[in-house]
Amino acid sequence: MGIHSFCSSVGTIARWEVRRTLATTSRSLIPVTIVMVVLLLLVTGFAAEQGFHLTDGIYLAGTDDPQIASLVAGDPRFEVITGDRGELRQYASHLDLVILDGAVEAAPTERGDAALRTLSRDYEQLQSMIYRQEEDLFAAYPLWIDLRYVTVPVSLGTTEPAVTPEAGEAPTPAGPAETVDTPPATPAVTREELREDLARSGTGATQPLQRYTSLLTGEPATGEFQIPDQIAPPLPFDSLILVFVFIFPLYFVSQFFMMSVMDERLGRKGEILLATPLSPAAIVAGKALPYTGVMLAIALILILMTGVPPVAIAALLPVVLFFLAAALLIGMVSRSFRELSFLSILFSTMATAYLFLPSVFANIHVISLISPLTLIVLLIQGEAITLGQYLFSTVPVFLAGGILWAIGTANFTEERLFAYGPFMQRVTDFIGGVISIRHPYASLALLGAFSIPFVFMIQLLTLALFFNLPLRLSLPLLIIIAAFIEESAKSAGIIALYRIKPAFFTLPAILLSAAAVGVGFLAGEKLLLFATLAQITQTVFAQVLFLSIQSLWMPFLLHATGVAIVAAVLRLGGPRASGAGILAATAVHSVYNLVLIAGVAG
Amino acid sequence: MNARHIRVIALQELRGLGREKTIVSAILLQLFIALFSSFLMVGLVAMYDPGALGPASADFRVGISGSGDQVEELMDARPGLHARSLPLGDAMAALREGRLSAVVYVPKTPPDADEPILVTVWLVRNDIRSSLVAASLKEVLGSFEQELREVRADRLKQRAVPLAFPEEASGGGYYEFLYGLLVPLLLFLPAIISGALVIDSITEEFQQKTLEVLLSTPVSFPDILRGKVLAAWVLVPIQAGSWMLLLAANGIDIASPAEMLLHASLIALVLILLGSLVALHYRERSTSQFVFSIGVVALMLAVLAVPENPVNLVVRMAVGAAGPAHWLMLGAEAAIAASIAVLVALLARRVIGPGALRNPDARSQEM
Repeated sequence: MGIHSFCSSVGTIARWEVRRTLATTSRSLIPVTIVMVVLLLLVTGFAAEQGFHLTDGIYLAGTDDPQIASLVAGDPRFEVITGDRGELRQYASHLDLVILDGAVEAAPTERGDAALRTLSRDYEQLQSMIYRQEEDLFAAYPLWIDLRYVTVPVSLGTTEPAVTPEAGEAPTPAGPAETVDTPPATPAVTREELREDLARSGTGATQPLQRYTSLLTGEPATGEFQIPDQIAPPLPFDSLILVFVFIFPLYFVSQFFMMSVMDERLGRKGEILLATPLSPAAIVAGKALPYTGVMLAIALILILMTGVPPVAIAALLPVVLFFLAAALLIGMVSRSFRELSFLSILFSTMATAYLFLPSVFANIHVISLISPLTLIVLLIQGEAITLGQYLFSTVPVFLAGGILWAIGTANFTEERLFAYGPFMQRVTDFIGGVISIRHPYASLALLGAFSIPFVFMIQLLTLALFFNLPLRLSLPLLIIIAAFIEESAKSAGIIALYRIKPAFFTLPAILLSAAAVGVGFLAGEKLLLFATLAQITQTVFAQVLFLSIQSLWMPFLLHATGVAIVAAVLRLGGPRASGAGILAATAVHSVYNLVLIAGVAG
Repeated sequence: MNARHIRVIALQELRGLGREKTIVSAILLQLFIALFSSFLMVGLVAMYDPGALGPASADFRVGISGSGDQVEELMDARPGLHARSLPLGDAMAALREGRLSAVVYVPKTPPDADEPILVTVWLVRNDIRSSLVAASLKEVLGSFEQELREVRADRLKQRAVPLAFPEEASGGGYYEFLYGLLVPLLLFLPAIISGALVIDSITEEFQQKTLEVLLSTPVSFPDILRGKVLAAWVLVPIQAGSWMLLLAANGIDIASPAEMLLHASLIALVLILLGSLVALHYRERSTSQFVFSIGVVALMLAVLAVPENPVNLVVRMAVGAAGPAHWLMLGAEAAIAASIAVLVALLARRVIGPGALRNPDARSQEM
């Protein structure tokens, strides 16, 4: 089929999809959407004006000074009572803070500690507000910092100098001393310019969200020079909220697409579509086209409204495709509306977490670029994006979306759409849909390689989740779960193949498949590592490649062994043994990793 | 109303949930949100204020050049930082070789000078340690700023009301996050999930055309609805209660858990009934879920913007700062739930009229 006829079939399906959606969903959908959006805007405006009253009145403070009372009551988290010393002493056991003659005393409880912390942050903010208006600015802010960065090429695996606190004398550099111009003793700008910079950056501290992060008092520095308070890189709070505004509509639109896919399966409605001479790829693409258009249109409107640089849409594009691809699959595997809801909520929460987590660190480290949302944060902050950065942060997401899309398209058949087996079995069948029986090893290797972006995403999230546990517990747990995730990903192809053709797994075939998956998985893993490190170090491509090739044998054997174990267990125990096989492989993998870590540590 | 019919429908709903094991993903979802938000909080604090995690976990060497005696003293007083004074050229070379984590240059300006003192700090770009060093340096330089400010104090014209704080306690950093965010989140998530659940359950009967079959049995439509609402509702106290127990097991004391569960359950009932209302009106999943979820977001924003709102009340109950006035609120919540229940019943009656089983829009097309 030529590209032209493909496009015209996509167009036909897309038109059909628009008509169908308008007919089946309530016809009042568009007016309802407008009403809901207006309502949301009104409520947001109201909330922005009133502030959030979530933690109002959680602390109780008592003071003998009405002036202090009004100061403390300025923060709605405090309820304040005034009284004389005797009365306050009498009620002290009910009070979180007692302030007598300007001396603050906290109750010896957790709540008392928290109240004390909150009040002292409030007081700091009050003070800096007063300092900022001080006529003699350099008496209020006598110290200014000029923060400069040097770029150091990372040397991997070489001698990382251990810090030895007991070594009293200064370190002597191995190389010659550098010639550095003595830095200026005073800022090269006027007092009023500095004051303006302070005033501009001073807005951040009153954000309602920052209430929760009372520790993060770092204010964004807008000028060239900073006061000590501004040194720590600021959290890009405002930009993150703005990014969320961009992502939010994507959920809803992908919900409609998901439901439209599911709808084809209700009462086998989709049979008519499948009976046409159109290819599944054209049907799926055609169905998705209107939703892609709506998502991009909404993004464009938001860009115009918020004044974000229009390039942001390029960063949003992979996210749009990823969401649609996931929606397609969720719509195809769900067996009921409830399952559709749960899977979609679970997916959107985890995808959001994955996409947002790195962009929180946008101002700290370049690795935050693994999320395309970081690009948007940077764009909002007025920074330029290079093509290399764009590719680094969007290619994995494009790739992950593309893989999901391919799986969905390959399984858009009568056999898959109208079957309702147990959930895991359906997932396995879907993976089996992309395995070519004629080229089983190549398929397995590719599946192994393509599972890497997903393994990476899930492992990053688990890392985040176990962060809270004590290290002694979290480290072994992380190793085991990481091994489990990797082994599950690697054996997915094997289990799917076994369901299609159990007789395939003879001993040589088991070994060959294990090798194929091992090679594919390792290649994907190294490619990702390579791209990541190249982005950080920029210069040491060859070194990275060389270093990792040296130690390629051991991980290959490990990956292949895991797959071989699963395949062998399947061969011996039948399809029900797949879980046991993965667990056995996980055990071997974890032991290997633990020994490796113990070896490095010891 | 037939209690046995309602029970049968409710049990059938719950069995369906159990069979699909989809409830597992709902629990996973809540666990994920709780753990992830905790991670963000703890992780961010560690990243921006390493001292907050307790004793210094890493040691950094900082080179000091120029007239930095005072800064060096302050730095050595801080655990985790080790000041080394050396010429600027050497220091910069050592920074590039990775022997120092930062270099600080202090000019020879006297503390009481008219002009400000400009300190130059060099850090390594794109090194995660740089942000940790920066956070430590921030404190040291903050103390230096304070000392300089005291020297120049007689030039300051305005003063804040003097307040003397005791040596700051180490704890308390996560208190507001735990009680002000995590507790209400875990308490109200099950309510929102159940609201979405009842929409799926009702619209599915219309869209899968199973309602006609169901209505040919002796079970009446209002009883089917009651059963579905009941099934969604009982899940709420079970989940919310488990979260409370889990929090307690983690050493997070909740002042009045039973009363909080009452509030959470009644608010959940309001949401579930609102969900039923939307589902009965549209009889189609996409639109219903869309309207419901935007509606819930708008409702929450609106509620939170009002002082003394029920969510705030629950937070205050969690920390033990709410009086008996919450019983009044509970009554108000029950009254709201009852009035929406009446609306649902009115709408349900329209559904069982002749020809009413079709999509409302299809019906209007006929006319």
